[in-house]
Amino acid sequence: MAAIELDGVTKRFGDVEALRGVDMEVREGEIFGFLGPNGAGKTTTIDVLLDFVRATEGSATVLGHDAHEESRAIRERTGVLPEGFDVYGRLTGRQHVEFVSEAKGADADPDAVCERVGLDPEDFDRKAGGYSKGMKQRLVLGMALVGEPDLLILDEPSTGLDPNGARRMREIVREERERGATVFFSSHILGQVESVCDRVAILQDGEVVAVDTVEGLREAAGTETVLTVNLAESVEGVVAAAEGVAGVESARLSGATVIVRCSDDVKMDVLTAIEDAGGDVENFDTDEASLDELFAAYTEDEE
Amino acid sequence: MSDAADGATGEGSALAVLDEAMREQFTWYVVAKKEFQDTVRSKGLWVLSLVFLVLFVVPLLSVVFDFLGLGQAARTSGTGVLINSIYLNLVALLLPLIAMFVGYAALTRERESGSLKVLLSLPFSRRDVIIGKVVGRCAVVALPLLAALALTALLLVSMSIPFDPVLYGLFVLFTVGLALVMVSIAVSISGAVPSGRWSLVVNFFAYFYFSFVWNSLANGIGNILQNQLGMGGAIRWQITLFVKLLSPTQAYKTLVNSRIAANTGANAERLARLEMFSPSADRATLCNDVLLGNATVQQTVFGGNRTVCQSAGNAVPFYFSDAAVFVYLLLWIGLAAAISYYTFDRVDL
Repeated sequence: MAAIELDGVTKRFGDVEALRGVDMEVREGEIFGFLGPNGAGKTTTIDVLLDFVRATEGSATVLGHDAHEESRAIRERTGVLPEGFDVYGRLTGRQHVEFVSEAKGADADPDAVCERVGLDPEDFDRKAGGYSKGMKQRLVLGMALVGEPDLLILDEPSTGLDPNGARRMREIVREERERGATVFFSSHILGQVESVCDRVAILQDGEVVAVDTVEGLREAAGTETVLTVNLAESVEGVVAAAEGVAGVESARLSGATVIVRCSDDVKMDVLTAIEDAGGDVENFDTDEASLDELFAAYTEDEE
Repeated sequence: MSDAADGATGEGSALAVLDEAMREQFTWYVVAKKEFQDTVRSKGLWVLSLVFLVLFVVPLLSVVFDFLGLGQAARTSGTGVLINSIYLNLVALLLPLIAMFVGYAALTRERESGSLKVLLSLPFSRRDVIIGKVVGRCAVVALPLLAALALTALLLVSMSIPFDPVLYGLFVLFTVGLALVMVSIAVSISGAVPSGRWSLVVNFFAYFYFSFVWNSLANGIGNILQNQLGMGGAIRWQITLFVKLLSPTQAYKTLVNSRIAANTGANAERLARLEMFSPSADRATLCNDVLLGNATVQQTVFGGNRTVCQSAGNAVPFYFSDAAVFVYLLLWIGLAAAISYYTFDRVDL
């Protein structure tokens, strides 16, 4: 069974069409990355899943329940880190966790939650109004974990986290999948997603433009490799020579460095072509395309 | 679990059992509890306590210093005089205003800050949120209000003013009732509008209408019935009285008036309802046909006529009795919450 199923979900706010027929399926037990630039409609999609907003058309099913009609049943089994949230300034971190525990009828150990998300135990007993953005993020992530939910919905979970916090968050996401939970999280920072996601969807202007594994997307986008070639000195004609090789997508010169995007198997051909054009290759480096580049390939209009 | 923790649970076990039972019985209970815990920690609660203290205790100075002859009157006639001459109008004017300030931002603030997203990502329905907010905020007002009223009672007794516990108890009941109604209305408005500014405006209009316009509105309806629809006589005055009683502050006033006069005989309810009308109203019809009394015209010492309403052994119709009026007052809580839920449930957050 699918953990999340969106079927032609459209959402209009007045004249603005935030979602235009979103179709997507998140399988049970996978970590699913939901990617897209700011304003693409990621939060609106999550809001539909949680019944914060109602779809104008189409249907959304979460954990086998209709997102609007049976929202409560969904939220009983779901942990949420919403976007643009705030905490209750006068309650302590501990009281927040206890509140969630009571709300879900769970028997969570607040101290264990505190330790897991890496909050300072001293801060945990202070009022949350004085927390930094990162501490609030850790607290609400901890609240989302209470009661071992079957589904975690995390909207931009790395916001405000330092690198350690972001790493901890990714560890938690993996641990939750090991436990058997499905994790659905959105991000516009792609480096954070790449290493943890089983599959990703890319959303742009309210439409899903791609759903695949990270490797699959990489192949489909055809931006497998970035070849960086350092020359002894800048030579005219090397860019044209590199672009002349079959399988090269683009090449540009930056100082004495040639940067070539090409498929993996033509690297040596490119180096040969550059040398033939008079380039004196000192060293070179290959780099798999980051998801950022994939992402750009998908979401930038073809010019 | 450790021994120490076991001991702690044992001590508060009665409360813990109640807490558990409430949680299982009412899905909104956890919201109400959180709301109360959160608000009780704010400076607002201290301000509120201070305001209630000023509202109820300061007027007692007029007795101490025998201002306007109140000291003398109070010492001979007791609590009723004080309630009638000081508290009734003061409370009816200020308590709704205070209550609205407590409640108007209950939902809009959470909506604007984003904590509502945290709240609604938990397994609460939007109805739970409205009811929990109403109950929680009501508790926040009721607590300092009851404390201030208890302190006032102590002071009255210590000032050796004849203390009527039944009358004072009912006064407390009606006052708390009015406070809860106004808080519920304010919280409900905040659930039904998109922003805190809107809530403030709508709340202010609600307060203004209930306190200053409602009476004219009721009289106006009566005039329309008579002049435009040709519905004169008893039915006109029945409807007018009923509309008047639907205002929480009017209902509160007539309830307190009725109880103050209760020791003068069974006619108190009737006279209290009659007091809601201006002298130009058709008092004979009101007395005879609407309130089932016996109107007689007497000559005053100045030579004018005046209608006197006597009991004639009948009680007022049950739907105009104190018990019924108290029910009308409390119905506002449910009505306001229902309207709020209807609106809040449909909106995109």
